[in-house]
Amino acid sequence: MEWLMWFTRFENTKPVALLIFFITFCAILFYVFGSKKRSERLESYKNMPLQDD
Amino acid sequence: MDHGKIEKNLGLMLVLTMFAISIGGLVEIVPLFFIKGTIEDVRNAEGIKMVRPYTPLEQRGRDIYVREGCYLCHSQMIRPFRDEAMRYGHYSLAAESQYDHPFQWGSKRTGPDLARVGKKYSNEWQVQHLIAPRSMVPESVMPNYPWLLSTALDTSDMASRMKALRTTGVPYSINKAEYDNNVKEFGEDVAKQLHIPDAQKNLIEQAQTGKYDGNPADITEMDAMVAYLQVLGTMVDFSKLDSDNFVKFR
Amino acid sequence: MASVAIGSGEQYNYDIVRKFTIMALIWGAVGMLVGVTIASQLAWPYLNFDIPYITFGRLRPVHTGAVIFGFGGSALFATSYYIVQRTCQARLISDGMASFTFWGWQAIIVLAALGDVMGYSQGREYAEMEWPVDLLITVVWVAYAIVYIGTIMKRKEPHIYVANWFYLAFILATALLHIFNNLAIPFSMTQSYPLFAGAQDAMTQWWYGHNAVGFFLTAAFLGMMYYFVPKQAGRPIYSYRLSIVHFWALIFMYMWAGSHHLHWTAIPDWTSTLAATFSIMLLMPSWGGMINGIMTMSGAWDKLRTDPIMRFLIVALSFYGMSTFEGPMMSLKDVNALSHYTDWTVGHVHSGALGWVAMISFGAIYHMIPRLWDTKMHSTKLINVHFWLATIGTLMYITAMWISGIMQGLMWRAYDDFGNLQYSFAESVAAMHPYYAMRALGGAVFLTGMLLMLYNCFMTIRQAKSMPAGGLAASAA
Repeated sequence: MEWLMWFTRFENTKPVALLIFFITFCAILFYVFGSKKRSERLESYKNMPLQDD
Repeated sequence: MDHGKIEKNLGLMLVLTMFAISIGGLVEIVPLFFIKGTIEDVRNAEGIKMVRPYTPLEQRGRDIYVREGCYLCHSQMIRPFRDEAMRYGHYSLAAESQYDHPFQWGSKRTGPDLARVGKKYSNEWQVQHLIAPRSMVPESVMPNYPWLLSTALDTSDMASRMKALRTTGVPYSINKAEYDNNVKEFGEDVAKQLHIPDAQKNLIEQAQTGKYDGNPADITEMDAMVAYLQVLGTMVDFSKLDSDNFVKFR
Repeated sequence: MASVAIGSGEQYNYDIVRKFTIMALIWGAVGMLVGVTIASQLAWPYLNFDIPYITFGRLRPVHTGAVIFGFGGSALFATSYYIVQRTCQARLISDGMASFTFWGWQAIIVLAALGDVMGYSQGREYAEMEWPVDLLITVVWVAYAIVYIGTIMKRKEPHIYVANWFYLAFILATALLHIFNNLAIPFSMTQSYPLFAGAQDAMTQWWYGHNAVGFFLTAAFLGMMYYFVPKQAGRPIYSYRLSIVHFWALIFMYMWAGSHHLHWTAIPDWTSTLAATFSIMLLMPSWGGMINGIMTMSGAWDKLRTDPIMRFLIVALSFYGMSTFEGPMMSLKDVNALSHYTDWTVGHVHSGALGWVAMISFGAIYHMIPRLWDTKMHSTKLINVHFWLATIGTLMYITAMWISGIMQGLMWRAYDDFGNLQYSFAESVAAMHPYYAMRALGGAVFLTGMLLMLYNCFMTIRQAKSMPAGGLAASAA
């Protein structure tokens, strides 16, 4: 369990947290804008409020 | 990982949303309960804690302070700036509000900060100022609080108030063992005031002997209010401490 | 057309939306009236009249409670029930539970106001309600979550429209914040002491206070924006993908920013540094929302000339953009050293509350009312007058607060030639008087607009009721 102590130090956890969040953010960006087909599908949802009448 | 799934799977979306909104609070608040330096341990040369829980009368005054919404115009948190040091005194320590349920740091200074208002003015000044602020400070926009002087203080529920505070962690004593511990931590005079079985007696005694509202015969809300205002910021005697000591806590 | 309108009346539960819409209008007028009252009390303190129940300290939570939870809350209930039914093409799962949320929520607002004037207060900003009311809020909120989530589960369309995501985040976050901020130990049937003390209590309270703004007054109103802006403009939202990115970024980052309300106080320095960092980053997702809303108008800008409802929505987004720029700036420690404890904060809150929250709600309500009562607005001209009153009132308010706030901050830290403080505190109070008067006037102008809206909507509803169902549409056809 000694390795857990590594996480209790700010100088370690700060860059790790930054890395995790940044990668997550990039993954979301890539997912949303990465593929043309997916983009078209996602953008098609924007018409939902206009189709409800 | 397919966002299409999240958009279409309500349960997954709820879980992920909950996850996203929980992290910030967890990281910032939870450590404050465990990191030792968050609340400074301020003791005098004899090892007695300088910051003590409020006496029954002071606590009742504090309750009235909360009731009247004083915190909406007065802060109780002096920041470490030169002008605030000159105007109000030493910057506030976390230790000084460690028994404050709720905290009353405030967010707006329509009136001045009150963190160290204790002993700055006489009891008579405080009473007159609360009844008619503009008679003492012509520029003031504070409401008059004449009813504090004419309303008798309800002392009957003091013990139940202190018991509730004890449940939250304020060291009011309910038995001999707790009392003895308070004697060790705060000294005997303070420990007596913190003893719940004597709550009502202590409250009445302090109000009658303290000359807060100028009339020892009646115990009014003014007694409690002035007793509270006069103790604010006076517990820590900074002349006996090395003030550089606190820098490491910030 | 007429048959569609009647059909949709059966298809959806509009009754609950109508009720909440009416109460949003009423609480708006009441809350803003109390606001003008307390603003006047600060300018002319004799208006406290030495009556305990109406002194500033007790009326201020009445004002915040009535506008945030009464007006804002009712507007959110109304719009969320309207949007969730229409975008999911499903009726609310339970009319009874929806009705319970209505009566429960109204009871909460009334009880909270009564508690405030009677002096039953937890002493926590925006959460002054004592524990019995807090329990009722919890019950009503759970019912709301069940109705809302249950209705989404019944949806005909597989995709959940983005407006509903924002409402979902708002429902979850509000529950989380409400529960942890109101942990308390009761000592009587009406009063309690909060569980936490001092620094921890401050952190909990401002985690709540900031995210009440972030989720109650921002995320949820963004949900409103994502439906009504495209609807009123008659064109889809600018970028659906942007809405996905900015949704996740916004809800994640908001929760970190609370302790920027506690800069330079006795909390550990790292918490406020962290909060300031996230507050700066928060500018990006906030502006993502603003850009998405405003760009929806591209190619249809001429609508702004003719459609006062569109004007409300776009000006709301502009104020949103302005406030979410000002906020991160004020969260910088050096700016905060000047701005904190001053009227600048009050001005900032109101540029968000009047400019963003109230205006987007006005737009949404003006959009919904003709559809809910199957008629058209009594007077478009009055909507236009309301728009200008609201805009001018907001600008007067925030300008007065900018001047007085910065002046306060500078006067407090001014030194004379000998290094002594140049001004006593009382002198700074005296210097505020003209701006407090100007603020009260700005508020009164805004309130006048609100009263016009109340009248306009009342006349609209009355004229609709005097007509047979679908009568107008039939006669138009």
